[in-house]
Amino acid sequence: MNILTLFSLCLTVAVYIAARKFAEKFPSPFTIPLVTASAFIIIFFLLFDISYEEYGTTKSIITYMLGPATVALAVPMYMHREIIKEKFWNVLCGILIGTCTTIFAAVSLSKVLHLSETIQTASAVKAITTPVAIDTVKILNGDPTLAATFVVASGITGAITGSAILNFFRIHDPLARGLGMGTVSHGIGTSQALNEGSLHGAAASVAMSVAAIMTSILLPLVYRLFV
Amino acid sequence: MKNAVLFLGQILILWLIYICSQYAVSLLHLPIPGSVLGMLLLYFALSKKIISLKLIEKGALFLTKHLTFLFLPFVIGLMSYGDLIKASGIQLLVMIVASTLIGMIATGAASQFLSKKEREVVKEHEHSDAV
Repeated sequence: MNILTLFSLCLTVAVYIAARKFAEKFPSPFTIPLVTASAFIIIFFLLFDISYEEYGTTKSIITYMLGPATVALAVPMYMHREIIKEKFWNVLCGILIGTCTTIFAAVSLSKVLHLSETIQTASAVKAITTPVAIDTVKILNGDPTLAATFVVASGITGAITGSAILNFFRIHDPLARGLGMGTVSHGIGTSQALNEGSLHGAAASVAMSVAAIMTSILLPLVYRLFV
Repeated sequence: MKNAVLFLGQILILWLIYICSQYAVSLLHLPIPGSVLGMLLLYFALSKKIISLKLIEKGALFLTKHLTFLFLPFVIGLMSYGDLIKASGIQLLVMIVASTLIGMIATGAASQFLSKKEREVVKEHEHSDAV
């Protein structure tokens, strides 16, 4: 391992820990560690003229554990299995309709706005939690960085506007609110849904995992029909 | 010390599930990510009590808690997309915000509609029982 790799690895860990502490002090969808940490590191790299290619080895080391971590998402889903059992069809239909609508809206908006095909592909996976989005976009030959960024931006959008939008459309059922936030805003939406109540949070957490499974299975099969 | 070993052992189990699923996906040419197959397998193993929750709980919750850290390097990749953001940042923002809101409303409305239907059915049943 060369010096730059070791340095950027330590930097990433240190910045991540600092960003978590910062988010604890000032909790808001804008201060989530992912946003502050990546902004800081990007600015640092640009200032000191370090290219993303030079960060490659560090990237492989860190992201190696993404697979096992995605497998681990089964645990929160299992902990909330009562919701899945009791409301099986409700949960399944709600998430299926929501996921399809998001994909359709994202891909057609990208087309209407004349965004490139790379962006269209990445936008199709924006309704799934980041680690699965990265894996799925690779199957579609898309770009993991764009996919990850779109997912995070969707998460922040949903977390900030979720409560108000759902109120505006008179969606007051706790299960429905949780599913809505979890399906489109994944982890970030889930923590926001938890602020509303434990049933909201549990529904969001279930929605995040179920939407990920559903999209990753369906999307590679139907993607050619969308584009 | 003992705790640390147990903890690493738990993560090792998750890693093994992932490696096996990855292998199964490439062997059977399944069109899904290995990680998702692993998630499904673990969920069923937990449901059927093949694996007890205690065996992996701490390691799993640690990994999901720090999931953000693990994909941070992908988001940093945005540094090579300065030109794209300058050229079509607004369009990207419109696409992301609009599709997110549409999806959230669709999910919530569908689920709430189904809950209402369910309650009506239950009510009708209660009613007929009373009569």
